[in-house]
Amino acid sequence: MDFSLTDDQQLLRDTAAKLLQRECPPAIVRAHIDDPAVYEPLWRHLREYTALGAGPATDLCLFLEQTGYAAAPGPFLATALYTSLAGGDGDTTGTVAFLDDPMNPFVLEADRVERIAVIGPGPTVGVVDTDQVRDRLRFVGTIDFSRRAFQFDAVDLDPHLRPIDPEAFAAWRDRAHVSIAAEMTGTARRIFDMALAYAKERHQFDRPIGSFQAIQHKLAEMSLALQRATAAVQYAAMTCDAAAGDRGLACHSAKAAAGEAARRILKDGAQIHGGIGYTWEHDLHLYLRRATADEDMLGTTSWHLDRIAGLLFDVA
Amino acid sequence: MQLTWGPEDEAFRADLVDFLDTHTPEEVRGGFDFQGDVGDDHELVPQWMRDWQATLFDHQWMIPGYPPELGGRNCTPVQTLIYLETLASRRIPRSGHFPGYAIVAPSLLEFGNENQRAMAPSAIRGDTIWCIGMSEPNAGSDLAGLQTRAEVFDDHFVVNGQKVWTSYATIAQKCFCYVRTDPSLAKHKGISLLILDMDTPGIDIRPLRHLNGMAGFAEVFFTDVVVPRDSLVGALNGGWGITQGSLAHERAGLWVESVGRLEQTVAGLVELAQKFGRVDDPIIRRKIAQFHELASSLRAMGYKGFASFAQGSSAPEHSYMKMATSEAGKAAYELGMEIVGPIAPVTDPAYADVGRWSHGFFMSFANTIAGGSSEIQRNIIAQRVLGLPRS
Repeated sequence: MDFSLTDDQQLLRDTAAKLLQRECPPAIVRAHIDDPAVYEPLWRHLREYTALGAGPATDLCLFLEQTGYAAAPGPFLATALYTSLAGGDGDTTGTVAFLDDPMNPFVLEADRVERIAVIGPGPTVGVVDTDQVRDRLRFVGTIDFSRRAFQFDAVDLDPHLRPIDPEAFAAWRDRAHVSIAAEMTGTARRIFDMALAYAKERHQFDRPIGSFQAIQHKLAEMSLALQRATAAVQYAAMTCDAAAGDRGLACHSAKAAAGEAARRILKDGAQIHGGIGYTWEHDLHLYLRRATADEDMLGTTSWHLDRIAGLLFDVA
Repeated sequence: MQLTWGPEDEAFRADLVDFLDTHTPEEVRGGFDFQGDVGDDHELVPQWMRDWQATLFDHQWMIPGYPPELGGRNCTPVQTLIYLETLASRRIPRSGHFPGYAIVAPSLLEFGNENQRAMAPSAIRGDTIWCIGMSEPNAGSDLAGLQTRAEVFDDHFVVNGQKVWTSYATIAQKCFCYVRTDPSLAKHKGISLLILDMDTPGIDIRPLRHLNGMAGFAEVFFTDVVVPRDSLVGALNGGWGITQGSLAHERAGLWVESVGRLEQTVAGLVELAQKFGRVDDPIIRRKIAQFHELASSLRAMGYKGFASFAQGSSAPEHSYMKMATSEAGKAAYELGMEIVGPIAPVTDPAYADVGRWSHGFFMSFANTIAGGSSEIQRNIIAQRVLGLPRS
């Protein structure tokens, strides 16, 4: 049992952090509200890393934590999900669409990718060219300006669904859950860092508000939630790479832990910022939005908890 | 990053399992849950528990990271982790009295002179039972505010004052006692550590019952207690630095046991829900799932931080595990009572398993207080991990 990063993994994480800090400052996330095209220079850099979608989950999650930290717009996560389902080396951009799945009603970044992997009952999977279904896609605005979600009208569409090995599909779903959880812990960490910095610099009653116990204890609990989620994600990613027996439990737990951490941190992070955090001008909301919307992506926290209960109760 | 242990570590585990399979007596199996017999001070640490600690020591399995003369086999930190996990998963305790092996011995080895270091083996084997004189009526969370005085003379100290919540004081032979030796200094700076023989004239021990009715701790009064000069551990007025070390030792391996306990409580909740027909209750299911997620993420967090935990020094990260596992334990017992329903408060022996949850609920109150309350842990996290200014 070794959680320490290899030299290559540290390099990957540091490279990702630097790249995103440089190419995806808050100004880009903000500009994306009105002009989705601003993601393109960033994407030219991120495209060089899409092969991670075909590689170990541990490496992918290290990178996704950084895209989450930056609330990076663009189809990096979508392409990673597509690649591990449809195959390939990550060179083709893609996203995934769940047919008739109320827990996954929308298709992420569908207008920016070349292919859509369609998941049908069975489980079955088919792949369609985005260009062939563009008129079936309808942009759906959400609270999160950093992502683009689409309704996908699949009525009378034949996506050439073929059966997929249920175990392979279960492995993909688990990997998908830990992937979104990794992004969420990154976004949660961004909000946490902002709240912690603000608690140190903001003075009231002639001292930093971070010296007050009410604020300190909030930050301590936020920090615990973040540490738990980060460790749960790393562990779950390791179970994916090792095809470990507790992979399902670990990945559901990772998404649930990330969901709980993100919700706690975004609420208390906003509270610690006070009035300034409630303004449009402050960057906080860019990340609050992403963290809030992510909880509903690839299964809500409650949905994942119910899957855990199923594994605890209904297997024996 | 990898999920598996190396071959040497697996061989270590195999040796341990082999030892446990052949040497663990019946009482010890599941003895993790032993909490002392109600109202009988003499059974605070039963003989089978004492024998077991000596057996572990004699087979070099008491503190495996130590050398053989200290009850160990010079194993690596990773192997210590495997050791603690294996014991926790089998609910096998190491000792019925933690202060000696967990706090006193490591502190003596680090800060003691030659004579004092020589007291470590018997503390680890459990032949000498120790208590720790830290808390006082006016020094709880504010430990550095302790007021028990030791007047300093050329060849002895004279101790006057009172300790409280002193675990095992009723059966201990020795006390690791923190006293104020220089009231003129700032409160952290005037504290010294003395070793007291509990049968020294002037020491008065009054048992205190826990709220659950069990014996356990005591008030200890000191009236003109004469203590030889060579019972001073470390430097005069250097006691506070040792408290920081002692508490770190106490916590270093604690998370494995705490997380193990929490996981077993969660497994107990699953069985309980099955037994009481609550398996289809969506609220109960979701709450239990939440505890599973909590316990498994804490275990992952322990592994992730293990490299720093294994250093043994005062890593403030321990505060996360202490706070999280103790708070979670309390809440888990609360859920157990909810699952049991209206008969949860029943202690009548005819309802054997039912009482475990209300009993455990009360017991769990101690865990969020003793060894640094949850509020103190949050202060430590805020100030020492997150770098927030003192209030």
